[in-house]
Amino acid sequence: MPRGGGGRGGRGGRGGFGGGRGGGRSVAQNNVPWTMDQEIVLDGKPSELFPPYNVPTAPSLSKKEEKQVSYFLLFREQCHDGPLYTQARTWTRTSDTNRRTYGQEQINKKYGTTSKATTDPFLSVPTYSQKFQQTERTLPDLASRPFAKEFYPPELHATLDGEDEVGLATKRRKTTTKKTLALSNITSLRTAEELFMPGAQQEPGTEGTGPRFDKVLEVLDKAEKRAEDGEDAGFLSGEDDDDWVKDNEDEDGEGANAEEEDQYDDESGDDYNAEQYFEGGDEDDYDDGGDDGGDYM
Amino acid sequence: MLVTQSVAELCALLIDELHGELPSRIFATLLNRGRSSLIQLVQYTSMTPRQIRHGLAVLLQHNLLFYQVDPETQTAAYEANADYAYNLLRTGKILEMVDTSYGGPAKDVMQSLLLLGQTRISDLTAAYQEKIDQATKATNTHKMEIDDENEANGVNGHSHSPKKPDLPVKSIAQLNSILSRLVEAELIDAVHARTFQSPDDIFRDVEKEVIKTHFPNGVKGGKAKIELEESIAEGLRKVRSDSKSLKRKLEQNAGAAKRRKLFSNGGLNGSLNGSATNGVHDEDTDPGLDPMFVIRINYEKCLVDLRNRRLVQFVQETFGDTSAYVYGILLRLLTKRLSRCRLDPRMDTADNDDEKESSGPGFVTTTEILDNLKTSVDLSLGLGKPAKEAISVRAAEKIQENPSKKKIKIEEAEVDGHASADEDDDSGADSDGESDYDSDHKEPSSGMNGTKVKFADGAGLKESRLDRPAMLRQHLLLLAESSQRFIRHCGQNEWTVDFIPLLQALREAELDSVIERTSGRQGLRLARILRVKGKLDEKALPNVALMRKAEMQQKMLEMQTAGFVHVQEVPRDNKADVKKSFFLWFCDVDKSLNKLLETSYKTMVHCIQVLEVLRQKEKDILLLTKRSDVRGREKDVMRKEYYDRYSRFLENEKKLFAQVMRIDDLVALIRDF
Repeated sequence: MPRGGGGRGGRGGRGGFGGGRGGGRSVAQNNVPWTMDQEIVLDGKPSELFPPYNVPTAPSLSKKEEKQVSYFLLFREQCHDGPLYTQARTWTRTSDTNRRTYGQEQINKKYGTTSKATTDPFLSVPTYSQKFQQTERTLPDLASRPFAKEFYPPELHATLDGEDEVGLATKRRKTTTKKTLALSNITSLRTAEELFMPGAQQEPGTEGTGPRFDKVLEVLDKAEKRAEDGEDAGFLSGEDDDDWVKDNEDEDGEGANAEEEDQYDDESGDDYNAEQYFEGGDEDDYDDGGDDGGDYM
Repeated sequence: MLVTQSVAELCALLIDELHGELPSRIFATLLNRGRSSLIQLVQYTSMTPRQIRHGLAVLLQHNLLFYQVDPETQTAAYEANADYAYNLLRTGKILEMVDTSYGGPAKDVMQSLLLLGQTRISDLTAAYQEKIDQATKATNTHKMEIDDENEANGVNGHSHSPKKPDLPVKSIAQLNSILSRLVEAELIDAVHARTFQSPDDIFRDVEKEVIKTHFPNGVKGGKAKIELEESIAEGLRKVRSDSKSLKRKLEQNAGAAKRRKLFSNGGLNGSLNGSATNGVHDEDTDPGLDPMFVIRINYEKCLVDLRNRRLVQFVQETFGDTSAYVYGILLRLLTKRLSRCRLDPRMDTADNDDEKESSGPGFVTTTEILDNLKTSVDLSLGLGKPAKEAISVRAAEKIQENPSKKKIKIEEAEVDGHASADEDDDSGADSDGESDYDSDHKEPSSGMNGTKVKFADGAGLKESRLDRPAMLRQHLLLLAESSQRFIRHCGQNEWTVDFIPLLQALREAELDSVIERTSGRQGLRLARILRVKGKLDEKALPNVALMRKAEMQQKMLEMQTAGFVHVQEVPRDNKADVKKSFFLWFCDVDKSLNKLLETSYKTMVHCIQVLEVLRQKEKDILLLTKRSDVRGREKDVMRKEYYDRYSRFLENEKKLFAQVMRIDDLVALIRDF
């Protein structure tokens, strides 16, 4: 509906009441509410900046919901423990100021912000405690488990065997032993209370204070098997939470040391190798673990 | 499932949460770009082919992709399977459901399967075997250690008590038995050659095949078209039934019938006490499963079971525990052969009576229910004792052979809106010839009228005189007579459930409660008025609603922005003058539900994003708790304030996920059930 008053630049006409009814400017001027209705009392107070707002709170969890959530969290924990999980995060929420993305390019740019090139040099000095931090996997460890290959497209078969290396120069001996699936060793979800009050309730299967014999045995078993196959012993480092092993197996000599060497290899070993120093531009973020990826069994 | 932007975001976040960033990135790209090949994915994401291949392998292992291999170039085109990605969210619910209905060991197997993705049975068996071996070995060596210690009489600094291997699955035979039970319940099905083809691809293939074999000269005329459709549906059903091949094989085996009986009993017992005692007694009779089969979780059937639980919960809220228990058993028996909640319009259109599942769920007799009832359950609870005169036996016992065409009106049963008179006109007034039911085998004094149940106190003496079948009947009649029509009395002592209208009613009830929460009782009242009256002019509405015009307009606008009511503008003449045109308010339930669905997705996305922010905030602590030297002795290493922060974070995480799961309840009801 055309409103005539606005076009003529009248004071009250713009968007006002009866500007378009064909009345003159005088009508428009008188046509504000407080001139027409004497009883109106204008409330000139500014509106409250933070009006009281009743925030709805969700009811507390029922027993069933509690169970469902804990099952989900346990499942997530096990997923993260498994060989197919990639821990590596290549983007952090804090680092990007502009959340909105337009188009694929910007989305791609979001990733790969945390790489070797972007680490803070003051924080990246190797410290002792870094040794205990989880080793991040940049690619899923597909070689460690069997797959039903007939249900995969042929182009992925090599990848499933773990033979999808960057350059096949590092020739790996093909493992002839039968691979077995590993069931997760995490059998129960640990809550904060359990973490901080050890001894109060020790669920079977959770790490207690004592050494875990089953775990050690399992690791040793694997080590034997690998040794028979003629593999490096470096695999010990790749295991998920071999806390006991790393702490106590020093007399074995291989487990913990191999890991340390691995870590420092990246930093210092190849310092003067110019080709490798600049290896990997932007696209190679996930490939950081490529050269030593074979060690994570 | 319609994949909107928020669904895509949610799926990507879920995969990120469970399987890591790399698969999530690829999945999001696939959702955004549609079907793509490996090369295309490399271009889109600017990752290396090696990364993409690894990510794709992980996604495929977890059934999150469809693919189609081009026979000429041997390259594959991948497509995202958003349904499965969404179902990751339901993991907790499914596990809880399996835990309560099939026991702890079954839950463990299910969890392993969910964790491993599609798995060959032999691999799964080997994995469990290894675990069992380890456990036995550990105990043996442990014993030896202790003996050594005792012999040497040495340092007893070891304060640990001998830990027994507490494996949920104790032997391979048990694993086999559990697997066959789950396969028979269809919770697990077999992976076959076409599992990874998208439904559209399968449809196209089948269509091509059918045209090639049956209609080589092209399809002409209406009749041929119908025939074509029918044979396509036939072909699709055949493909679909491939996944049940394992179950069929199992059933062909000799001991199947016997075991099935045991299984159903065991399953029900398990549901009652939640214990893991079942599944032990029938291990020996189980025939081995073919170890070469590859199995995975069948979410469709899981949804059927989740729906049952939801309905039982609804009955529990409406009537009480005992009726809900009876209803649960009825549903379990009824849905045994039901493989999915919603029929696929492409496959199940034709009235094919040869297949059970498409011709409705069938029915359950009273004696069947009685056989499955646990004897310890006191059926007399939750039944009213109205006076003799208050009951119209004929009306209560009326048999409805066909589902009523009338749309179920939502009464004020669960939403405390305004009170209104009960309108059970159809149950009271109908006296057609169908009610020729002999009512003498049942004592009229024990009857009841669902709408006016009185819970008399001193009725204990009378109850004891009633036998169990009669009491069971009371519960069933109570359910049948409720305004929501939980069950239908479809024949003498035969009961069935009309899922479609029942769930529609449930959906509307859910929508009503959402409206009430967001715009108050006034808003709900207005929405209901509109639902009854259809379209109403803006000027007429205040009169009908007995509200002041300004108030009403504000409320309506509020509800319109929330998507609960809609407005239509009808111009009076060609000029379409705003002042003169009519504004008609109306209420479209489906539209509102869709809007609600979209809002739910967004809320879930927000919940997970909030979690991510919290994680960033507490990053240092989370890193610390994951450190290998801290694990196991957190108390010594971490300080009190750290502990406080950590437990607060865990609490928040739990709450956020619980919220997501609650919203998922709503989504499931609207979309999947």
